[in-house]
Amino acid sequence: MDELLGPEHQGKVGKVNVLTLEALTKSFQRAGTVVDSVDMQIEDGEFFTLLGPSGCGKSTILRMIAGLEEPDSGRILFESRDVTREPPNKRGIGMVFQNYALFPHLSVAQNVAFGLEVRKESSSEVKRRTASALEQVQLEKLGSARVDQLSGGQQQRVALARALVIQPKVLLLDEPLSNLDAKLRGETRVMLRTVHNATAVTTIYVTHDQEEALGMSDRIAVLNGGRVHQIDTPREIYERPATKFVADFIGRNNVIEATLENVTDNSAEVRFENGSRIKLLPQQKAADVTLTSGTRVGVCVRAESLRITDSNGFCSGELADVEYSGVGYWCVARTDLGNLRIEVPGSIRLPAKGQRVLLAVNETSLHMVKAS
Amino acid sequence: MKRNWASLAALMALALVLWGYVVGPLVSTFQRSVASGQGTFAEYAPFLDYGSVQSEALRGSLFISFVSVITSGVVGVFLAVLLNRWDFRFRKLYQALVLVPIALPPLMGVKAFYLLYGKAGTFPQLLGEIFHVSPASFALTGISGVLLVHTLTMYPYFYLSVAASLAQTDDSLEEAASSLGASSFQTWTRVLLPMLTPPIVAGALLTFMSSMASYTAPLLFEVNNVMTVQIANNAANQQPLASAVAVMLAVISVIFLIVIRSYEQRSVYRSQSKGGARKRRRLTSPAAKVILFVSAMISTIILILPIAMIFLLAFSVNYSWRTAPLPSAYTTANFVKMFSDSNTFDPIRNSLEMSAIAVAGALVLGVTCAYVTARMRVRGKAIIDIAMMLPWALPGTVVAFNLIVAFARPSVFSFGQVLIGTYWIVPLAYFVRFSPLIFRSTTSSLTQLDPSLEEAARTLGSTWWGAFRRVVLPLTSSGIAGGVLLAFVAGVGEFVATIMLFPKLKYRPLSIAINDELNVGRWGTAACLGVVQVVLVLAVVVIMRRVEDRSTMAHTS
Repeated sequence: MDELLGPEHQGKVGKVNVLTLEALTKSFQRAGTVVDSVDMQIEDGEFFTLLGPSGCGKSTILRMIAGLEEPDSGRILFESRDVTREPPNKRGIGMVFQNYALFPHLSVAQNVAFGLEVRKESSSEVKRRTASALEQVQLEKLGSARVDQLSGGQQQRVALARALVIQPKVLLLDEPLSNLDAKLRGETRVMLRTVHNATAVTTIYVTHDQEEALGMSDRIAVLNGGRVHQIDTPREIYERPATKFVADFIGRNNVIEATLENVTDNSAEVRFENGSRIKLLPQQKAADVTLTSGTRVGVCVRAESLRITDSNGFCSGELADVEYSGVGYWCVARTDLGNLRIEVPGSIRLPAKGQRVLLAVNETSLHMVKAS
Repeated sequence: MKRNWASLAALMALALVLWGYVVGPLVSTFQRSVASGQGTFAEYAPFLDYGSVQSEALRGSLFISFVSVITSGVVGVFLAVLLNRWDFRFRKLYQALVLVPIALPPLMGVKAFYLLYGKAGTFPQLLGEIFHVSPASFALTGISGVLLVHTLTMYPYFYLSVAASLAQTDDSLEEAASSLGASSFQTWTRVLLPMLTPPIVAGALLTFMSSMASYTAPLLFEVNNVMTVQIANNAANQQPLASAVAVMLAVISVIFLIVIRSYEQRSVYRSQSKGGARKRRRLTSPAAKVILFVSAMISTIILILPIAMIFLLAFSVNYSWRTAPLPSAYTTANFVKMFSDSNTFDPIRNSLEMSAIAVAGALVLGVTCAYVTARMRVRGKAIIDIAMMLPWALPGTVVAFNLIVAFARPSVFSFGQVLIGTYWIVPLAYFVRFSPLIFRSTTSSLTQLDPSLEEAARTLGSTWWGAFRRVVLPLTSSGIAGGVLLAFVAGVGEFVATIMLFPKLKYRPLSIAINDELNVGRWGTAACLGVVQVVLVLAVVVIMRRVEDRSTMAHTS
């Protein structure tokens, strides 16, 4: 395991900024501005995820960090060194490409050895480190195989070994799971985490899958339209989304428009369109929401915090759609506040479809964002 | 950034070479055509005059090209469907044989057609004997002879593209059509033919362009009113006239080049279902089986007759063929003489040498251009692409004429020398004509190469040159080698430009030697040299197949 550890990774995690992006901007002729003044600081040893829908600029940011695209403006710092105009081969990064980009004319071991050879390591050193990298990804028996003889999951592991064997300062992963089937994806997630724990290499992970992002990351940057919407821990992002976009994108949130009323120092009331009111604490809001009476807000109501009740509901409607998920049911109710998604535990007896239902909500889980 | 300077320098060098040897000479020709002293466009006025030579030549070329497209199209599409849709005996053998005419050498090939179907040819004589009439009444002469040569040499443009497209369409489309209630006729007209339209159009464009450029067939069948012949005939004595015709022909060719390039970029219909080879239909009716088998056999025989004729002639005694369907005496002396007599062997050596020199230059130019246009984000690469492909579209006569006009005087690009009349003008012509072949094959293997491979090498610490040498070159080498081999054999066979340019007997290349031997009636010796060309082409085809098989084996993923 120690083979893959750069000396700088051993024993210290956090606090030092390994990578800083300053006002990074990039536009393409056809697509327009795809990365719009992005700032980020990534700490040593962190597993950092860029999350967003396709076209949000996450892959472009990754490619600029790698040096494969040149930003129009802004800076990229590795620790305090400005690498903005440095070619990729000088940056000391490891990258796993979405399609793995294994060299088809080289064997598995030759692929892994490539980065060591261009660094002119001695052949005994190349051999030793290649073997141990292959061992780490459990491919020690396949060193002489051709890459086209490998399964998708194995190719993925070769790509990872090839990126790690050069002891990169930063490991970049570009949607590495998107070409794998569901089962392999699960296994590979475990392997990526294991490798990250073992090497403590600063990792930047690009994905559009919120489940991957929430499950694997130390911190997540949620992007849309080339802009950063929120950078936070998975838990903060899930429970306290900073914008309506984040609320919509993460989890199964219902964002319901409402008006603030009766604002005091330690409480505020939201009034929904149907007249029901719920009292909230002042901290149940995103930073940019101003607490004044009459302000329009979006109230995030997560599907799992809604429940079907007999009395004291805050809205009513009828069950329009039910989907069995194994753990429970995903339902859609057509209510007087619009269509709402509800997650119902399997232990509860569902009313028949089309039947009238009252919905109650766990008030402490509510969160306000700026109305769009 | 450092690389920007490097790529800018490369771009400048490319632009200079392309200007000096490709675009510049064409511009010289244009200047020559407007500098006759009788008003700027005086040389172009005759094109509008119905009775003039120029107008006749233009109409002649267009007519022959239109008809060639139709006849080659019918033959090519028929063969493609016949040999790729049904399964019958010896189908694979036929599939291999119908492509043999690609190996027909330019001059000797046309001569073989002439000896088979022309005045006093094999077929007219045979038919004359059978029906007791003069053989001349069965002989194909003039335009009909040219059309026959075009049809039987240009059908591969249709055959190859249609066959490839048929191999890609998958059965599920036809199954879907019939499940939706389409009869087999409706399946053809509504599903299969529309899908075959792109390859047929592509084939038609190529055939038209090749027909416009065709020089040897009109020359041998004595059709004078086509543009290529007019350019060649007037190249020395009436340069303004020849220039105007050359410019006209160049403009037509460039228009076709642009149409072809834009057509290539349109999407091709690809099969969407994965895996599972196409099933060929097995015929159940015995009558249908016989019909297919016999028609495949007859067409194949017709197609390979000219090649067979060259081989037969190579073993015939010189002057032994007078008034019979075939030569009367046979010998191996032609081959013995070819390798012992320096007078016959020198041309082979000259051709190999000139072609090798040209290919060495074409390799550098073609690969650099391909890399620049396929990989770099620079402005003006579309211009480079068009300039590079220009000589591919230009007829050999036009390329040769451009060089005559441009290098009859000392120029910077000939290092202050007059190139006309020297050894170097011939390799230069081959270099100009055949660089596009290397450019094309390199471009196509580069576009198939995933750019992320190069990026991966860069992230792993390779310099740009390191990534190019260790990743890009090894993975495109088979494509580059294919282009090099093609360019090399094309150079060895080249006749059209050579006949207009070659300096003196001492530097006589292969095709000129063949021409000389034919002119004095030593058909056996000429055919023997033709066999060398055929064997060379076939060898290259076999080598390329091998390389391709090996690389597809190694690269499928």
